[in-house]
Amino acid sequence: MSVYAVNKLCRQALHDPAFREALKRDPAAAIAPLDLTDDERRALVAGDVAWLYERGCHPFLLAYLTRWDLFGLKGEIYSERIRKASDARDN
Amino acid sequence: MAEIVAGFGMPHNPGSPALVAREGPQCETARFYAEMAKNIEAVAPDVLVIFTDDHFNTFFLDNFPTFAIGIADATAGPNDQTPMPHYKVAVPGALAAHIRTTAIKHDFDISLVQDFDVDHAVMVPLHFITPHMKIPVLPIFVNALAPPLPTARRCFALGEAVRAAVENWPQPLRVAAIGSGSFSLEIGGPKIPQGRRVAGTPDPQWSQHVQDLLNEVRIDDLITEATTARMLQAGNIGGELLNWIALLGVIGARKPVTMLPQNDHGQAFAVWRWN
Repeated sequence: MSVYAVNKLCRQALHDPAFREALKRDPAAAIAPLDLTDDERRALVAGDVAWLYERGCHPFLLAYLTRWDLFGLKGEIYSERIRKASDARDN
Repeated sequence: MAEIVAGFGMPHNPGSPALVAREGPQCETARFYAEMAKNIEAVAPDVLVIFTDDHFNTFFLDNFPTFAIGIADATAGPNDQTPMPHYKVAVPGALAAHIRTTAIKHDFDISLVQDFDVDHAVMVPLHFITPHMKIPVLPIFVNALAPPLPTARRCFALGEAVRAAVENWPQPLRVAAIGSGSFSLEIGGPKIPQGRRVAGTPDPQWSQHVQDLLNEVRIDDLITEATTARMLQAGNIGGELLNWIALLGVIGARKPVTMLPQNDHGQAFAVWRWN
């Protein structure tokens, strides 16, 4: 699990406008060069933030994606999905 | 000899500069920061030590210190796209180096950072309390966001080491300390309250309880209660209470003279003064 690469992608989306534009245009193509597993690519393209969170991606960084609705993640959709994630704090 | 002359606690929401620009000086956030600024002016410190948590901007997860101290002539920020003016501010490098040496003698393995910018957690408070940026600022970074977090007792002891270092500094210098952060805040995680988007306050009662303990000077109770599990139940940003607890280590067991709650936002503004 390359959680680190997903966290880094989120940070790059914040700081690198060209990368951000590429993510908007064609998400799958934009993340193709990154060192991600197939499951991670699927989760990112599907906007499956609960899956990513459960595997250790940092929520503060994941939340950046909502600033530009990347991977279809409008704030409302993101919030609905992440609320359904299993939360290790409650175990 | 240098001395600690005051303590301050305050939040650092990145949306606050834009909010205040939009709503004007009468909105609550503007008034509360103005109260902090008024006290800073009255205390007239030569240096501000600020306990802050980097939000993966100055550092990233490839190399993320539990504690770090900035030793440089100057820093700048915000470095995280926060919508606000960009500032440069002096850093008291020699004092910072002295604090680092003292902290290491007190068994703190504190990291060194010499070439750095800072994010909204430093620059939002400064924007409101010292917008002229004429008071040098010494940032001490505490990991409040990427568990495992340091313990509350360890953060308090770090603050005590900082006070010992300041009191050992041979030149006369008035030092004020700031704890930056919120008590209850969830960003991007499962505890975002219903009806809120992306961020919100899951536990306003904890925010009030923290302030009650501060007002009653029950520092030991606060340190005991502020376990990682309890803080993170109040939100994944709840560890920022550690910045306040480090501040308490600097100023000691004192009653705040001002405590301005914003429990809907899981946060407060506080002033400790004693002369």
